[in-house]
Amino acid sequence: MSIRSGKSTTECLRDALLPGTPEGIQQARREAAVRIKEYQRRSLRGVWYLALFLGISLAVQRWFALLPDFSPSARQFLGAPPSAKMISGLLVVYSFAALILILGRMTSGSGAFSGLSHLGYLTVFYLFYHLGHTLDDNFYAVLAAGVTILSLEAYHLWTWHQERIRQEKQYILRLDRMREWQRG
Amino acid sequence: MGMSLSGRAIVPVTITVTGFVVICCTLLYQAIKQDMIQDAVRHETALAQTVVRSTRYAMLKGDRATIKNIVTTVGAQQDVEQVRIFNKRGGIMFSSHPEEINRQVDRNSEGCIICHAGATPVATMGSMQQARRYRNERGETVLAITAPIYNEPDCFTAPCHVHPASQKVLGTLDIGLSQKTLQATLASLRGRMGLFSVMVLFLTIAGVSAILRRSLFLPLQRLTAYALELAAGHKDVQPPELDDELESIGRTLKELADSSGAESGKKPGA
Repeated sequence: MSIRSGKSTTECLRDALLPGTPEGIQQARREAAVRIKEYQRRSLRGVWYLALFLGISLAVQRWFALLPDFSPSARQFLGAPPSAKMISGLLVVYSFAALILILGRMTSGSGAFSGLSHLGYLTVFYLFYHLGHTLDDNFYAVLAAGVTILSLEAYHLWTWHQERIRQEKQYILRLDRMREWQRG
Repeated sequence: MGMSLSGRAIVPVTITVTGFVVICCTLLYQAIKQDMIQDAVRHETALAQTVVRSTRYAMLKGDRATIKNIVTTVGAQQDVEQVRIFNKRGGIMFSSHPEEINRQVDRNSEGCIICHAGATPVATMGSMQQARRYRNERGETVLAITAPIYNEPDCFTAPCHVHPASQKVLGTLDIGLSQKTLQATLASLRGRMGLFSVMVLFLTIAGVSAILRRSLFLPLQRLTAYALELAAGHKDVQPPELDDELESIGRTLKELADSSGAESGKKPGA
């Protein structure tokens, strides 16, 4: 039932067991309104992460070149940086895997969000290109990857929460009908 | 804030396909650019070696007029920005720009520092390390190569010369080629890739829209029309012929309409 209707088991149970008293209906209505506000707030989380990534990209472009380079001894300790071709290959594989995973979550109806880990991975790509002295050439590739992945994440999160909000509004409508029916 | 069914189908497909194409195009462009620059460096290194070998006999004979003529002729070629021959102290002995002759170049300047960074100058270097890029006064990118002129047995055994056998490098040849053509090719490549990405974007939107319209929206419209006919009381209308899933909805609607008709036809209490 939960798979066909797109609702969780808790939501199905809650819908089946509507409160019987006017006070219970009022309480359930208030709780649903609180949940709608929470969903509305959370639905924009993806957009905030996208904005944060654009801010990081701007900072990388402006200030990464000003960062002091590693000392020769530190470079010797770390070893040779990976080649630009290797980092670019990894970026393609990462972007492909990330997009497939997000599309998989959209298909399964999961509301999980991994914006923070994507921010981390993308920043590490900027860092690796910087250490390999090829950031200027490959900056726009990481930017395109970040915008694509985080846009899809933001869109998925927004639609998933919009669906929850729609369900909560339907629940409120049923509560209102129940209250009208009780009144007479 | 609701989105239509077509919007919900088109947006994620468009973001995914177009975004991935843009990422791949950007990385592919960088790879092609690097390959073209490496080819240009190889070509320029070969050209520098040709000039060094062409001037070798004249240098052995101390024929300054021939060396000057070779440097001027090569320097006059299209896209050749400059040809210079430095002595081991950094003095310009020959140049395609006569006003530069006898000038001293700072060892810390770009092109010199590559070999003179340490206490002992580097005598051998890969072609990519010898290359440097800068912009000329016309704003064009110039790719320059500094090729060493090595001391060889016929140099230090010649009676007229004083180079000791221990001296590895006698001087350097600096040649710079304008990258105007390369930049134009890269700009054209960028334009084509941008156009390709835009075409992928439109094709994705058009493809998904066409599939949705053909497979979903038109059958849904026919199903809606059928439901409205039933609601209007036209129960003799047959359900439309559709795909299996949608046709079963049509059949169910027909059964519902028939059963509700039978229910309403029953006598009360029967």
